[in-house]
Amino acid sequence: MALLATINRGLMRLSMIALVLTAVILTYSVVSRYFFQAPTDWQDEASVFMLVGVTFFCTAYVQSQRGHIGIEAIAGLLPPRVNAARLLLVDLVSALFCCFFAWKSWTLFHEAYVDGQTTSSTFAPPLWIPYGMMALGMSLLSLQLVLQTLARITNKAATERAA
Amino acid sequence: QNTALKISHQFPGGTINEGDFRDRLTRMFAAEVEKRSKGSLKFEIYPGSSLMKTNAQFSAMRKGALDLSLVPLSYAGGEVPEVNIGLMPGLVTSYEQAYGWKNAEVGKELNRILNEKGIVLISWIWQAGGMASRTKPVIDPEDAKGMKIRGGSREMDLILKAAGAAVVSLPSNEIYAAMQTGAMEAALTSSTSLISFRLEEVSKALTTGRAGAYWFMFEPLMMSKAVFDRLSKEQQATILAVGAELEIFAQNAAKADDAEVANVYSKAKAKVVDLNPAALKKWQAIARTTAWKDYGERNENCARLLKLAEKTL
Amino acid sequence: MSDLTLGALYGIATLVIMFSGLPIAFALGVVATGFMYFCMPPSSLDTITQNVYEEMASITLLSIPLFILKGAAIGKSPAGKDLYSAIHTWMHKIPGGLGIANVFACALFAAMAGSSPATCSAIGSAGIPEMRKRGYSPGFAAGIIAAGGTLGILLPPSITMILYAVAAEQSLGRLFLAGIGPGILLVVLFAGYAVYRARKEYQLALQVYNQGGAKSAYLEDEHFTLAQKVEMLPRVLPFIILLIGVMVALYGGFATPSETAGLGALLAMLLLAVIYGVWRPSELSPILSSSIKESTMLLLIIGMSLFYSYVMSYLHISQSAAAWVVSLHLSKWLLLAVILLMVIVFGFFLPPVSIILMTAPIILPPLKDAGFDLIWFGIVMTVVMEMGLIHPPVGLNIFVIKNIAPDIPLKDVVWGVFPFLLLMLLAVVLLCFFPAIATGLPDLIMGAK
Ligand code: NA
Ligand code: NA
Repeated sequence: MALLATINRGLMRLSMIALVLTAVILTYSVVSRYFFQAPTDWQDEASVFMLVGVTFFCTAYVQSQRGHIGIEAIAGLLPPRVNAARLLLVDLVSALFCCFFAWKSWTLFHEAYVDGQTTSSTFAPPLWIPYGMMALGMSLLSLQLVLQTLARITNKAATERAA
Repeated sequence: QNTALKISHQFPGGTINEGDFRDRLTRMFAAEVEKRSKGSLKFEIYPGSSLMKTNAQFSAMRKGALDLSLVPLSYAGGEVPEVNIGLMPGLVTSYEQAYGWKNAEVGKELNRILNEKGIVLISWIWQAGGMASRTKPVIDPEDAKGMKIRGGSREMDLILKAAGAAVVSLPSNEIYAAMQTGAMEAALTSSTSLISFRLEEVSKALTTGRAGAYWFMFEPLMMSKAVFDRLSKEQQATILAVGAELEIFAQNAAKADDAEVANVYSKAKAKVVDLNPAALKKWQAIARTTAWKDYGERNENCARLLKLAEKTL
Repeated sequence: MSDLTLGALYGIATLVIMFSGLPIAFALGVVATGFMYFCMPPSSLDTITQNVYEEMASITLLSIPLFILKGAAIGKSPAGKDLYSAIHTWMHKIPGGLGIANVFACALFAAMAGSSPATCSAIGSAGIPEMRKRGYSPGFAAGIIAAGGTLGILLPPSITMILYAVAAEQSLGRLFLAGIGPGILLVVLFAGYAVYRARKEYQLALQVYNQGGAKSAYLEDEHFTLAQKVEMLPRVLPFIILLIGVMVALYGGFATPSETAGLGALLAMLLLAVIYGVWRPSELSPILSSSIKESTMLLLIIGMSLFYSYVMSYLHISQSAAAWVVSLHLSKWLLLAVILLMVIVFGFFLPPVSIILMTAPIILPPLKDAGFDLIWFGIVMTVVMEMGLIHPPVGLNIFVIKNIAPDIPLKDVVWGVFPFLLLMLLAVVLLCFFPAIATGLPDLIMGAK
């Protein structure tokens, strides 16, 4: 848990740098075209890759803070015991879905890596880079969700023992 | 449960009699195959990328998750480098040459390669393109020097760069805005797209592909091989036959769009010019040492395809 | 099973899973994957991740984090506070002055951004706390921002209008111009309501105070001398520089729209560094991390909702619903009403981009045959889709608000946006009676069609 938190913080820091760098790259492409008459053709794709990276790298961090928003309208209507079971189920289903998504992302990554797939632009960077970032990010998210599910189970056990 | 075959494409949707000819072609194909197969084959058409993103179509077909698609073949160039030959500057310069590919060696070889990749070619469709410009018309490579131009593909960008243009890359839905503001001065694309993007509203000049072009794009109707193989021999034959018959319609419609684009732009008071054979030769010479060379060095298949294609020149 | 039955099942499953409390992004993914497993070829499951990636890998969509960063740089720094103090100094005599200021700010930002959540986030991160500080009720403050944010797709540039123009084969320039009139109409309606509501809340606060209750911030009687007012003016300068800088870059042809997003974010950060001395990593990190958290949450929802709409499209649900409406052969205005109702229902679940992509090809031909001007309809449809952005269950702007001001209960937000939904409906009715609100400007500038 602590290790994952450290990884999440590190990735967040990396993403902050990437976000600023993206802004710099896009600005540079304007400047270079207008002031140096040297157009760049890689800025859009570089930005897309960076921002895909930012999104997926931080998704586990966001989950650790419960930042993926859901509709909690029925929380107040249920008895506490049922609500606790609901929350556990929600985490479990989220974890299962993200594991599935992560697994499919890794197969996509593998396919792109083996076939040497690239984007079809002039710049033509390899596709395993964004696919890999997606796979890694979704794997961390899955791990985060599994840990949160386990925490709910152990917490519940602890409360029950206390009661 | 729903057993209709799904045809996906990125072009604006219309009806069988009206609208973008590529959409019409898929509708004519669907109607005719349904009729001839006595209803054993049915289709659902998804225009305007309403099923999936344009770039996901080719891969989905290879995996059998999409049945048919009408899509520029070269869009899959990142996944299968060989297909970049579908939009190679100056390699095809007339409709006669383009539509000759299917039965030439190059066509047979391309067919074989695509089969290996899980794709069956149903209808061979080619389209010429031109360049809309918000300043002066671009005819010779020298005209492009210093202009901000969107080539739209790796190979087109290569020749534009070699001609001294400042190549701009941006998504196609931003072309209009960029032309309007001047972030981009000219765009190279198909006659049909030059019309459907409404670029005449923001253009002062147009170079058409009426009298020959270095921009010829292969955008076939394709089918997933996995799905094709599941059909009966009769059904397969029907599909291939209807696909082949529609090629004449495609060729006429593409030519009509080349003429129509000139109409639309001259009505909008843009200066309309054609490419001349001398200019075409110049662009071809540039392409030979840039885009063709780049392509030929990708792998053995590419080198062989290029050699066979050059035979059709 | 017919397509429509399947559609009903899809809708019910979505509602059940969403209201179970599953995060929206995962809920959309779970429903889509489930239906994919049972109703689509097995190989489809192998294409999920590529589909989500292809949907997300668009520079237009990914400019959202940069727009959010630009907003956060202003909103979460002294710059935002200064801006609001200045506006407050000048407008505090007008009841609801700050509310009006927020509506205007949303409109100005909408003219730079192409998407609604970005607008909502940029103005809301400073606007909501400031309004609450001055006594505005949380629901009201949230409503103003959520509704004001929807202007992002009505005032040019607009991502959804670009898609519509292509699908409807209409002039994008004309469509962009047509959005300006209704945009101003909505601004006026929103501002008018802000005055009314602020007055009512003021009276209520006064009543409570007179009966010996707490003194609301509404009742703070402040007075500013002219000198003080003038002194506040330079504080608006950074915002003006940013606005003009981005406008010049975009409309002067220096930058493409996606480049503008990067340029704006960098410019905002530069202004912070130069004017406010905010440049140390420790000072920037809260701004950056909050931008990232918000855009990650949002992009995951958008990515998954595009995947969700892919399954919906594959199962032919939206297309069948649209085709069914067309098959009813309704009279002109009834047809319009039913189609708009359908757009509203789709708005329950889908973002505007998906609604256009899936329904435009089917609903546009009959509308055209019925004699509707497709430019006009594009605007009406955009306003209706704006409503979808602020009504539950999937209202992207509501989630943005939830993220900016997590302590406002969702119930308050939903009730807060409700009056604005009615105002938008009123705008639609006005557009039906006076189509020139939309078509007047393009006709004037580009000549009648
Ligand atoms: Na906008
Ligand atoms: Na909604």
